[in-house]
Amino acid sequence: MIDFSFLARVAPTLAEGLATTVLLAVPAILLSAAWGAVVVMGLLARSRVLAAVTRGYVEAVRNTPVLVQMFFIFFGSGYAGYPISGFTAGLIALVVQNGAYAAEIYRGGIRAVAHRLAEAGLALGLTPRRAFRIIVLPIAIRNVIPPLSNQGVLIIKDTSLVATISVAEMTFHARLLADRTAAVFEIFFTLALFYLLLTALFTGAMRLLERRVRIT
Amino acid sequence: MDLIFNSLPLLARGTLTTLYLSAGAIVLATALGVVLALLQLYGGFILRALVEVYLYVVRGVPLLVLLFAMYYALPYANVQIEPITGGIAVIGLYFGAFMTEVVRAAVLSVPRGQWEAARAVGLTTPRILLDVVLMQAVRMAGPPFVNTCIMVVKGTSLVAIIGLADVTYVGKQIVERTLAPFEIFGAVALVYFVICFGLSRLGQYFERRLNYVH
Repeated sequence: MIDFSFLARVAPTLAEGLATTVLLAVPAILLSAAWGAVVVMGLLARSRVLAAVTRGYVEAVRNTPVLVQMFFIFFGSGYAGYPISGFTAGLIALVVQNGAYAAEIYRGGIRAVAHRLAEAGLALGLTPRRAFRIIVLPIAIRNVIPPLSNQGVLIIKDTSLVATISVAEMTFHARLLADRTAAVFEIFFTLALFYLLLTALFTGAMRLLERRVRIT
Repeated sequence: MDLIFNSLPLLARGTLTTLYLSAGAIVLATALGVVLALLQLYGGFILRALVEVYLYVVRGVPLLVLLFAMYYALPYANVQIEPITGGIAVIGLYFGAFMTEVVRAAVLSVPRGQWEAARAVGLTTPRILLDVVLMQAVRMAGPPFVNTCIMVVKGTSLVAIIGLADVTYVGKQIVERTLAPFEIFGAVALVYFVICFGLSRLGQYFERRLNYVH
């Protein structure tokens, strides 16, 4: 049968990169969610100019690969005389890209709230702002948890890309190991297991959160 | 300006590779998505379980890791295929999982009553699936399908990391020689933007043409 003893040999090396992966993924997810909230305000702004500019930003980043954005920021910052680390460049690129996706998720979540609910609030004498805050927003937040969870998984997976701008996270370590040894199947199998574990933990946590805030 | 002008032939060749990879991967992912979604919905227990495992793995493992696995492992397994074919295969297999979601949601959006109505007029199951369900599902699947196609195009940029000369790879090579990251990566980003934005416009056009029902 398959010999699983290689796990014990490969895992410690990958574990070194695990901390970096987590340290990158957590702020990337949190900042993307926060930046998305700012961006969606721009998308829904009453000012036509602001809305158009924000729409332009969202379309620009959603239609270009995050890898190219990382290269742009990483190599560009060095060239401009303000070199930033691969870690920071990767974090910025991930937030710039996924913040735009988060904004679209928020927009969808707000639009999915039945219009008559807000109207009922207005009929009761709430100001539009208050109707939004105490009626629309609580429902919208519940709407967006599942798609945000999906986006979070994509962010975790995309942290592997910073291996190309010399950040020593899991995939970087796996690649070093694969260059030095012949046990490539075992290495990438273990690496895949690590990612599966991370994403499973994340989706599990998000599902708990979803259950906690559910309206029964 | 001169710099961009001189780089154009190289960038153009990279763009062709990107287009070739994207087209191949989209075709493969779509075919896989249809087959897997139908298996997941109508297959037997074992087939369904296999599809679930496949989807679970692909959803949790980065595309880059799968590309590396292919790149490093194939020589050991004594499999000799063109790197570009391997790239199309891995990207297609990866986004096949996303396409499965798209097809599944679209098929499920066709009301159950239509199955019953089709059966009542005497259609066989394959006929119902093809003429009634899939025909309507195609319309429902439009926007998410286009979004997934855009993800595929963006995803092909990762082959630059395993040394395939797509537009991202070519861009990086030029930057290493010319030290003009803003201009070159800007141009590379523009290439992707044109392809992806074009795709989404095309998608909107077809959506309008096909949506005569509503």
